[in-house]
Amino acid sequence: MRDDAFSKRHPAVNFAFFIGAIICAVVIQHPAYLSAGMLCGGAYYLLLHGRRGVKMVLGMVPVFLVLTAMNPLFNTYGDRVLFRYFGRPYTLEALLYGGAIAAIFVEMLLWFGCYNAVLTSDKFTSLFGKLIPALSLLLVMVLRMIPNLLRKGAQITEARNAIGRGAAEQDTVKGKLGEGMTLLGALTSWALEGSVVTADSMRSRGYGSGKRSSFMIYTMTGLDWGLLAALAVLLVGMIVLGDRTAAFTPVLNIAPIGGRNLPGFLCYLCYLLIPIALHIKEAIQWRISISKI
Amino acid sequence: MAHFNIENLTFSYAAAKGRHSLENVSLKVEQGEFLVLCGKSGSGKSTLLRHLKTVLTPNGKRTGEIAFHGVPLSRVSDRDQAEKIGFVMQNPDDQIVTDKVWHELAFGLESLGCDQKTMRARVAEMACYFGIQDWFHRDVCNLSGGQKQLLNLASIMAMQPEVLILDEPTSQLDPIAASDFLNTVRKINRELGTTVIITEHRLEDIFPYADRAVVMDCGKVIADDAPRNVGKLLYEQHHPMFTAMPTPVRVFYGAAGVGECPLTVREGRSWLSKAFPQTPQYPAIPAPELSEETASSALSLKELWFRYEKDSPDILRGVSAEVPKGSLYAILGGNGAGKSTTLKATCGICKPYRGKVTLFGKPIDKYKNRELFTNCLAMLPQDPKSLFVKKTVREDLEEMTKDKAEISHIAELCQITSLLDNHPYDLSGGEQQRAAMAKVLLTQPKLLLLDEPTKGIDCFFKETFAEILGNLKKEGITIVMVSHDVEFCARYADQVAMFFDGQILTTDTPHRFFGSNSFYTTAAHRMSRHVFHMAVKVEDVVDLYRKNKEAAK
Repeated sequence: MRDDAFSKRHPAVNFAFFIGAIICAVVIQHPAYLSAGMLCGGAYYLLLHGRRGVKMVLGMVPVFLVLTAMNPLFNTYGDRVLFRYFGRPYTLEALLYGGAIAAIFVEMLLWFGCYNAVLTSDKFTSLFGKLIPALSLLLVMVLRMIPNLLRKGAQITEARNAIGRGAAEQDTVKGKLGEGMTLLGALTSWALEGSVVTADSMRSRGYGSGKRSSFMIYTMTGLDWGLLAALAVLLVGMIVLGDRTAAFTPVLNIAPIGGRNLPGFLCYLCYLLIPIALHIKEAIQWRISISKI
Repeated sequence: MAHFNIENLTFSYAAAKGRHSLENVSLKVEQGEFLVLCGKSGSGKSTLLRHLKTVLTPNGKRTGEIAFHGVPLSRVSDRDQAEKIGFVMQNPDDQIVTDKVWHELAFGLESLGCDQKTMRARVAEMACYFGIQDWFHRDVCNLSGGQKQLLNLASIMAMQPEVLILDEPTSQLDPIAASDFLNTVRKINRELGTTVIITEHRLEDIFPYADRAVVMDCGKVIADDAPRNVGKLLYEQHHPMFTAMPTPVRVFYGAAGVGECPLTVREGRSWLSKAFPQTPQYPAIPAPELSEETASSALSLKELWFRYEKDSPDILRGVSAEVPKGSLYAILGGNGAGKSTTLKATCGICKPYRGKVTLFGKPIDKYKNRELFTNCLAMLPQDPKSLFVKKTVREDLEEMTKDKAEISHIAELCQITSLLDNHPYDLSGGEQQRAAMAKVLLTQPKLLLLDEPTKGIDCFFKETFAEILGNLKKEGITIVMVSHDVEFCARYADQVAMFFDGQILTTDTPHRFFGSNSFYTTAAHRMSRHVFHMAVKVEDVVDLYRKNKEAAK
């Protein structure tokens, strides 16, 4: 999961790619574009998560089907009636529209899943550290605090269980609630105690003694600039070179892909394939360099 | 010019009602010196250290002067102080500010407003020097305690301070991580010439290597000399701090040895070899009588197997043990070996997937939960803070029982009567340990489980603690304790078990257990192994030495 070629690129490239992919996923309702998005998103998700990702990707199939089938129940526009239930029409147009909505949903889930794996919190903060230093430090500290609090909470619960004072010991709902409050109170004073030390440690290391700078662990390379440019060009190409009209109800009106519209679609496809292409490129390079050894 | 020059510093905390925490302290610290500051907890060591950096200086009434490079400290800017005076505190966790190792390393440099190029170079330098490369990209919360403290040290060294001040940096670490850490501190002093001022409980590891030892007592400096001389001085004054000296020093003066006082085990060995060129007449102390009557067992573990998650490796791999009633049973072993997990399995917090736990002849699953924890079993967790949930110690104790007489009885037993109205967090480490112990004892357990009870407490509190354990044993309570503390177990345990690779390998009396080990044993035994047999405690070596010297006369 760590060895993905795209994850190793500069966070700005990662961020730009995902913003583009996710916005397109939400805005474009054209079936071809949606299918491309779902397939590429799913493929990249599998690439990132390996075997553990299979479950999630397969789980998307029933989600997609259920969401698709549900839309006609609420939406009766359209004139091609497939069947009637309780006198209400179940139309093809609504079904297709449901498919499009479901695809948007699935695509979002997949891209966000990839986003989470690629753009870890440190990448995010290092990206925005320069713009908003105070806020990004705050974010970093919160990110540090959450696992800390969880661990301490578990520790207190365990300690109280081991002297027979845990929530499991309480018979009444009131007792259980009371135990929860006790835990919260203990956790708060523990955290406050800790934050005094943290504050000391920060001031002792010169926090607030002058203007802060922000350490960037990532540097933009030539490849990163190239990728950014490619992303921009492909997006513009998609917008200019294709008609993506897709209306489902009341009348089905979907622009055909092919002919004049094909270049735009191809731009979009290339855009989405960039992470996978990088991965494949790296794998091939690796093979070649191994064969040379 | 002296680095720090402290003259007649007197200080009392605002809330202390005139009691001085520091009294007429005068101290000079030269450049490049390695200075160990020792004293009981509460003797003013930390207060003194905190005076050496303005942002950490406590509030209160103060007279006297502190000069840094000849300039009064208050006139040195915060920025200069941040850069030149590094300060490492006790708690490895709370000192860390950010969530990633690399970011933490850069935090100080960011605060000073360094440019990218400098930061990059310094961070890289530090990561290499401290061997952090392998976990450079990790989340801070996945590090071990030792790694966290090393990170704290590295992130301060990244600012390239001239002085490094460490306030009990290893009290929360296990012995191996602690001696790694202290070695790194020594390396910094030796290779970079950074001045080091350190307070420590674990004097064995650091005392012999210091240039100077300063002993504090009740806010006053009572000794300030080379370590060897300080040992002598404390012995001559019959000062209680003498018990905190490294083993070789205590053996030497206890046995009224001649020659130069040894400070390390190596020096101790050669001193003993010189004293006994031939095999001594009495090479071993008589083994303590083994009580033949086998008490019925309070706790028996049979073939426990446990893992935390389905796919994770087994932590317990067939743990078996028999703990006789009324004994102090100590489990020793490395870090993360599963010692604490064994305790958790014993009290039902972890459920082993195979094996049987029997308490007082009854399988643990036959106990109802309430029955198990009232008047039967209780566990003192590793961090005593996790037991405190109220505003005062008294309220915390009252949470357990309404019986006032019982509370005052237990408070007396744990020697915390005078602390009852304090906030639990205001107590020192050793006091917290005893307050938590009192809370646990109010469940009136017959079997007490202790997880690393001597972690972070100094040798005086350890003695008090051992006394409390002794009293509990007299009341018929069985104690099972998990520990890293070889010296403590050798002295006070009835049975010692070695935990390794998910199992309890050997169980024996401390005398035979440590007597037959050659590495994993007490300093006294390591020092005397080539001359005496089975001398495990300081007293053993002292006795044998005296006996043999008298016999030779």
